[in-house]
Amino acid sequence: MYRPSHAWLFMAPALIIMLAFSIIPSFMALGLSFTDYNVFQKAQWVGLDNYRTILRTGEFWNVLRNTLSYWLLVTPVLVTVPVFVAALVNREMPGIKFYRLLFYFPVLVSVVITALIWGWMFQSNGILNYLLGLIGLGPVRWLTRRTTVLPSLALVTIWQGLGYYMLFYLAGMQSISLDVYEAAELDGATNWKKHIYITFPLLRPVIFFTTVISTMAALKEFTLMMTMTGGGPIGASKTVVYLVFEEAFENLEMGYASAISFLLFAVILVLTIINKTTLDKEQE
Amino acid sequence: MARKNKISRRRLVHTIFVYLCLTLLAFFTVIPFVWTLSTSLKGPNETLYSFPPKFIPQNPTLNSYKVVWTTLPIPRYFFNSVILAIFQVSLPVILCSLAAFPLARMNFKGKNFVFMVIMATMMIPGDITMIPIYIILTKLGLLGSRLGVILPSAAGAFGIFLMRQAFMGIPKEIEDSAFIDGTNTWQMWRYIMFPMVKPNIATFSILRFINSWNAFLWPLLVFTDPKMYPLTVGLYNLRGAFVTNTRLVAAGTIIALIPIMVIFVVFQRYFIQGAYSSAVKG
Repeated sequence: MYRPSHAWLFMAPALIIMLAFSIIPSFMALGLSFTDYNVFQKAQWVGLDNYRTILRTGEFWNVLRNTLSYWLLVTPVLVTVPVFVAALVNREMPGIKFYRLLFYFPVLVSVVITALIWGWMFQSNGILNYLLGLIGLGPVRWLTRRTTVLPSLALVTIWQGLGYYMLFYLAGMQSISLDVYEAAELDGATNWKKHIYITFPLLRPVIFFTTVISTMAALKEFTLMMTMTGGGPIGASKTVVYLVFEEAFENLEMGYASAISFLLFAVILVLTIINKTTLDKEQE
Repeated sequence: MARKNKISRRRLVHTIFVYLCLTLLAFFTVIPFVWTLSTSLKGPNETLYSFPPKFIPQNPTLNSYKVVWTTLPIPRYFFNSVILAIFQVSLPVILCSLAAFPLARMNFKGKNFVFMVIMATMMIPGDITMIPIYIILTKLGLLGSRLGVILPSAAGAFGIFLMRQAFMGIPKEIEDSAFIDGTNTWQMWRYIMFPMVKPNIATFSILRFINSWNAFLWPLLVFTDPKMYPLTVGLYNLRGAFVTNTRLVAAGTIIALIPIMVIFVVFQRYFIQGAYSSAVKG
């Protein structure tokens, strides 16, 4: 039989890594948020000063507003549209597997490449403006206007996330028993009715799941802004974590930056609780 | 008879409609890639932004690829990405499956507690730990070295969870008969358990490879010497240097995309599986 000491020997390397780069850092972060620290000098305890300063300066409220706008642009689309995409590819047809792969591929592309190729799409004389021109609109200055920059970035995120969320819904749909559909068919239900009365209600748990993960992803996004717009124009696409990054690694205000990340954590927590309670209420 | 015709015609219209929707969506996902590919193949004399946009180059040429590969540090970045990927795949696979083995097959004091703590680390948001990890790397003297990028992600809750599930699926009889043959714990892991979970290891490896190949933030933070940059950071950095030559950036982009594309096409099955199992991660 196995000896207990062996168990710890096998787990030791992984546990050390997780302790050093996950568990200890999360406690450190909380401590840091009450200090003034710039790597070179010893950390100075400042109590709640960081939090007070953040809430008083306009910068935080600006990035929070940007982040929430971006979230409201991205999450509703990524929770709903992939349901229809999944319904579209959830059938036996020649070539359907190829379409599934095609829709999924953007998920695997790194943020730097996404930023580059979409940068070309958004050029003033690029394809998107050409298409708009065909229907007599535009040209739009996608990434260089305060009003269009966040919707443009949201479009990129939607492009990249479509296949990711599609797969969750596809898995959900394929786990619905065919008997239910057959019974509905016997009762004379049309295709549309089958979706509205069977597929969508049974997907509710998946919808809750995709809402949670797309919300968390949207509220933490910043590398897309960093690589596409640099947070511009004049801070119109700077998000909360982007500000954390800047304060920590450009201004070396590590304590202050940690405090911002905890405030965002609080926002995410509140949103998740709201999401959960509305779902529970609906189920009653 | 007439009725049957009507039904089959409706079916046909429906099928055409579905294909039309699929193809429109496919355009949306594919056009940015096709445009990049087309740009990279256009010669220096061909305008990039003509109205209407031209997807098929007049005189397609591989010139940009040659220039990118010989005059820019792209081969160097490519090499760096490969080195990072090798370690960022193998280390987590080994460390996670080592740690998952006792959690799946042994009984010892504190097992449930350890597993609970490991699972709890999944809840820790990465943007909160970003700063402390950077400080820890500084203190350990790992800034600027490959280890600084590799170590923080060398083991994680998701991998341990995945491998634990895999080990739990192995029947007890196999273990028992190995014990009768005098197998020790190390041999049990190395020669019996590990080879039996190869499909799960493949899934986990592919997920890790994609993460490693696409990693941007940590290589950017850790590496100070541009010679160490992987493709992502390298492309991000070069972009500024040759804004004027979009064809070259496009060629570099395609070069960075090729490994992902090849792996995706060859291992599609594992991707779908990986995506489903990462649903557990949440």
